[in-house]
Amino acid sequence: MEDKVLEIAGVNKYFYNPQQMQVLKDISFSITAGTFAALTGKSGSGKSTLLYLLSTMDTDFEGSIRIHGEEVRGKPGPWLARFRNEHIGFVFQFHYLLPEFTALDNVKLPALKRGRLSGEAATQKACDLLELLGVKDQAGKRTALLSGGQQQRVAIARALINDPLIIMGDEPTGNLDSYNAGLVFDLFKKISSENGQTILMVTHDEDFARRTDRMIHLVDGKIA
Amino acid sequence: MNRLQFYIAFTHMRSKLKQTIVATAGVAFGIAVFIFMVSFIVGVGEYTWAVSMSQTPDVRLYNEVSANEVSILQQQYPADVNIVHHVKPKEEMLNLKDGRQAVKQLSQDPRVQAVAASLSTQVFYHLGAVNINGRILGIDVEAEDRLFNLSDKIITGSLEQLSTRPNSLVMGAGLARKLNVSTGDHLTVTTNRGGSFLVTVTGIFKTGLTAIDDEQSYASLNTVQRLLGVPASYITDIKVRLHDNEQAPELAAAWARRFDYSASDWQQDNATLLASERLRSLIVYGVAVTILMVAGFGIFNILTMMIYEKMKDIAILKAMGFSDRDVRWIFLAQALTIGVAGALAGLCFGFLMAWGISKVPYKSDIMISLDHLPVSFDIIYYVTAFCFGLITTTLAGFLPSRKAAKLDPINIIRG
Repeated sequence: MEDKVLEIAGVNKYFYNPQQMQVLKDISFSITAGTFAALTGKSGSGKSTLLYLLSTMDTDFEGSIRIHGEEVRGKPGPWLARFRNEHIGFVFQFHYLLPEFTALDNVKLPALKRGRLSGEAATQKACDLLELLGVKDQAGKRTALLSGGQQQRVAIARALINDPLIIMGDEPTGNLDSYNAGLVFDLFKKISSENGQTILMVTHDEDFARRTDRMIHLVDGKIA
Repeated sequence: MNRLQFYIAFTHMRSKLKQTIVATAGVAFGIAVFIFMVSFIVGVGEYTWAVSMSQTPDVRLYNEVSANEVSILQQQYPADVNIVHHVKPKEEMLNLKDGRQAVKQLSQDPRVQAVAASLSTQVFYHLGAVNINGRILGIDVEAEDRLFNLSDKIITGSLEQLSTRPNSLVMGAGLARKLNVSTGDHLTVTTNRGGSFLVTVTGIFKTGLTAIDDEQSYASLNTVQRLLGVPASYITDIKVRLHDNEQAPELAAAWARRFDYSASDWQQDNATLLASERLRSLIVYGVAVTILMVAGFGIFNILTMMIYEKMKDIAILKAMGFSDRDVRWIFLAQALTIGVAGALAGLCFGFLMAWGISKVPYKSDIMISLDHLPVSFDIIYYVTAFCFGLITTTLAGFLPSRKAAKLDPINIIRG
């Protein structure tokens, strides 16, 4: 049997506000390690909601989500925080960096939180990642001063620093121009094939989605 | 808690430097005003207390005149109805029986710091056409000085001459002003037994207590005994200062039984003063707590605002794997830093303000021993202020930080 990084079985998700509405309907699938998967669907199909469930940031659902063999449902907050820190790298649609900190600090923080690398090693690794993403010259700047594309690349570096099992992206290339979006896409591709890290990316872009290893298409909360 | 949370907390504060400084200044101001107010109020209280207490012995032994003695008839026939018309108090000596012996015994008691015998009598002071009712207190000059520091209260003349010069007295400043006499002047006093004597004023004193300064003179025991025509063993009061004045009520009662005198202690003699002192400290603490609470609310507001501004950051931190605990510490660390820095600055400013006002010259006719405003520098108020400041800021920071920790990141990100 292949190594299943992500196993989802019978996941239902409801929104209660303004009225009860079922967003996800009996979702079940699994992803093997090293896969570059794309989650697609129309606006409102529930793809972002599903990604948030998988990222363990949203814990209000029915069913079972197993990441790296661990059932995340019903786990306490501190356990989830630690799990996210070590195994999940998340890239938001809008960069979401801490504006008071420098680009370097933003990338370093998850590593410092994890505490496995020394301060110097974390700095070195953060620098390498920034270089890889082509924003090393911006390392010392406060992120509020960076352009949108630069911020997004810093955010990706941040998601990579702890060598997570899974990197999740909520339209990570959504607000990048096509050149930068292409670069980011190629980078993800490289990571998944070379490092064996799993990538799950929500995207609108049919073109990118077709170039991934696997496409999961959602229609009205169901896998189509 | 570790260095990372502090690092994040400090970066937050540094990026909002102005806000942080305002919050810190708010705490500092509250603490400083507290220190200043308490130091000043307590200083004044302690000073007036010391002045009032300076003329009060810890224990006073005396003889009380009582008219309602049980008649002989009543003693003989206690069961019958006995009516005696026009009962008058009989001539009774006011002196303390074996007073000298009692003084000697008391002075050997290890709990006693100082003892002084005295003899008090009502007199009329005459000078020219002026007659003023007053009192002369015959004292053992050395012993009385030890008890009440009389020599500090002398404005002109000297206390020592009392014991060497016959028929001399040291007069209260108010009395001297009314009689228009000064040191070296002679005047006549008449005792309530009718005798008139020529006396010399060898000094003027001022205690700051009008009741004493306007009516009383000091003379030696011998002089007063001569004025009254009584033997040298005749004394009416024994005043005692104890090493520990908390023992006063207990010892007063014990000595009253032992010597068969009446006795009162300083707490009885100053009941109203004690009560007002308690009320005053109540007011001081009321004001102080209010000031610190206001400062606390200031911190609460600022921190709540800071947290609302940082909502998105909280969500990001949590997405990165920071736990509720980490987030709570990040904001609590900010509150604590503001609290400690503000409290320390407040203590310094409060001390400077108190020190400044203690150097302000202040002259008062009533309080002669006062040349600057009285200020207390008791360390206990600084400790109280620091602790209270810290507790308030911690509480003020704890509530918003707990709220921040509970926020569900996904709700913030979804908007």
